[in-house]
Amino acid sequence: MATHALQVSDAEYQEVRSHRLLGFLFFLISDSILFCSFIFSYLYDRSASPMWPPAGVERPGLYLAAVNSIVLFGSGVTMHLAMEAWRHANRTRFTQYIIATIVLGIGFLSGQAYEYTHLHDTWWGSVFGASFFTLTGMHGFHVFIGVCFLITVLLQARNGVYDQNRYFGLTAATLYWHFVDVIWVALFFLFYVY
Amino acid sequence: MSSAISELQQEASHAHIHPPPQGFIAKYVISFDHKVIAVQYFITAGLFFVLAGLLAELLRAQLTQPHNTLLSAQTFDEAYSIHGTAMVWLVIIPVLTGGFGNLAMPLMIGARDVAFPWLNMFSFWLFPPAGILVFLSFLYGAPRAGWTEYPPVSMETTGTALWCAGVFLIGVSSTITGINFMVTIIKMRAPGMTWTRMPLFVWATLVTAFLSAIATANLSAALAGLFNQKVFGVPFYDPAHGGSAVLWQHVFWFYSHPAVYIMILPAFGIISEILPTFVRRPIFGYKAIAYSSVAIGLVSFMVWAHHMFTSGLAQWVQLPFMILTMAVAIPTGIKIFSWVATLWRGKIRLSTPLLFTLGFLACFTFGGVTGVMLASVPADIHEHATYFVVAHLHYVLFGGSVFGIFAGLYYWWPKMTGRLLDERLGKWHFWTMFLAFNATFLPMHWLGLLGMQRRVSYYDSQFHSSDLLSFVAGTNLFVSISAFVLGASMLIFAYNALRSAKAGKVAGPNPWGARTLEWMTSSPPPYYNFAEIPIVLSGPYDYGKPLPYANISQDLATEPVA
Repeated sequence: MATHALQVSDAEYQEVRSHRLLGFLFFLISDSILFCSFIFSYLYDRSASPMWPPAGVERPGLYLAAVNSIVLFGSGVTMHLAMEAWRHANRTRFTQYIIATIVLGIGFLSGQAYEYTHLHDTWWGSVFGASFFTLTGMHGFHVFIGVCFLITVLLQARNGVYDQNRYFGLTAATLYWHFVDVIWVALFFLFYVY
Repeated sequence: MSSAISELQQEASHAHIHPPPQGFIAKYVISFDHKVIAVQYFITAGLFFVLAGLLAELLRAQLTQPHNTLLSAQTFDEAYSIHGTAMVWLVIIPVLTGGFGNLAMPLMIGARDVAFPWLNMFSFWLFPPAGILVFLSFLYGAPRAGWTEYPPVSMETTGTALWCAGVFLIGVSSTITGINFMVTIIKMRAPGMTWTRMPLFVWATLVTAFLSAIATANLSAALAGLFNQKVFGVPFYDPAHGGSAVLWQHVFWFYSHPAVYIMILPAFGIISEILPTFVRRPIFGYKAIAYSSVAIGLVSFMVWAHHMFTSGLAQWVQLPFMILTMAVAIPTGIKIFSWVATLWRGKIRLSTPLLFTLGFLACFTFGGVTGVMLASVPADIHEHATYFVVAHLHYVLFGGSVFGIFAGLYYWWPKMTGRLLDERLGKWHFWTMFLAFNATFLPMHWLGLLGMQRRVSYYDSQFHSSDLLSFVAGTNLFVSISAFVLGASMLIFAYNALRSAKAGKVAGPNPWGARTLEWMTSSPPPYYNFAEIPIVLSGPYDYGKPLPYANISQDLATEPVA
């Protein structure tokens, strides 16, 4: 039931937009509870364990993760710049920044794939590995969804689905991307630093 | 005043009417209309209610004798596990949120539909597959660890994977509905309907929607963990690999305790609507009832570990959970007293909806009192694994939620179908159900106190004195017979419901003389609910004063007393 933005009156669009924005915010809250629940589980197991990571399990490498974090936070910056470009009606810049964000997102996923395949053979079958793969995997899945979301937004922008004042899909994609960034801060701290 | 009305008029004129859907599928199957979706929820949940009820009758048939061989121990375990799962997730939660929430809430706030009709449709269509998955687990060896599925026992059965998938789907459905309802209530109330002019059922639905949207995501996480452990061997809850079985109890109950309030708050809302209508008095303590719902919703996140007093929590953890759990009785007590005060010196009409409401008040209060008993750690440790807990939870969920559901069904049936249910059959239904319910579950309290364990199919070896055993066996036989009568009482309702389609009295827009907005349109309401969006000028319960609405067509804006 996607309402084509250009077919409805301004008042009606604003009303529908406010519903969708609120609904999307509730969705993000609900989604963050999903992460919180697994983070709680991780901390619970960790506090119950005499040593952490458990015996025979090596700590994940900080180096790759740090590079990957910079890639992801960089994508947050380009996303913000894309939004600014849109607000200033600079479509070329907007397209460039969105593409940059997509590329950085894919870069992050590639880094994660490399980490998964190369590093931690000892993790399978331990609760440390279970938490690590579940949380970072779930986050990676969110990044993947975010990339798909951005590609959709880019195509929709090019097909004229949005106009200068009506761009809820773009707003939602931005919120989602920053949300995924913030989740990563927590995960990075939990698994690589703490 | 008139300039205020014209301002609200302007606000109301924004909404326009969409054309109604054409064709059978668009009207009744893939429907976006909240009223049709409500009926879909009722019918689907009704089927699961029959299945889960038959499982309960099987359990009672097994327990008629101390050492019955009707069911194997394994089948018995499967039956009570699926009975509990189905009643909680496939009956009570969908009926109270998807059913009544969809049926009444948009009408009560004067909206044309919910905020996201497509999501509402989607949310419903997750529900039948969820139920089918849960019941399919019987083919592969159903879960045997009760509706709570504690590992490691839940890891022993293949059906656990299907169970997880089914409950996960219903959880997603519940989350989506929660978000949808919150946006609807926050954003789409009729012009002039301020927060304190909202009907109390809408307040209850708002808090329930909040709990569904927030807590259910946590259930999804817990289930994903359990599913992964069962299917892929990821050791979240396996102590042999550094996991913890108690962790499952924490994450499960962090959802499932709020879920207890998801199952009762809408019932509170339903009876808050019925009471003033049938005693012709303003509800006593409107704000007290509304805000105590919010208080219950918030406290519900801080009491989950009272389900875990026997799982080895440290004593300093148990104490705050015990105190907070007992504190839930305060907002709940405020509600009970407000309802009783509403009855005081009212012009009481003992119609069926009010009878079920009074039944609710009696049974739920009783269940609440035993709840405070169980909140006390020493008492809980003694009674945790006994029939006392079974009795308590059925007084709350059957005596509370299910009585509330039937009260709501009798009350809103004319709005839903356009025809009234028969009053005489309704009274027969109430009295058989009320008496059989108490005869079934009241004796379970003393069975539990005598030490009869729940979830056990034989009890002959447990009671060594033959006097005691014959007393327990006799009581169990009585309980089982009452349970069969309780099941049979549902047939009266089924007959009444089917009969009303042909022989039911035509209801008219407002058969009970109620004052909330859903009665200010025809029965059943048209696709667009209201020809014009109504304007609300004051609260909904001022019996004896003129109706507080503008923009309502004059032939509907009456307040007759049936």
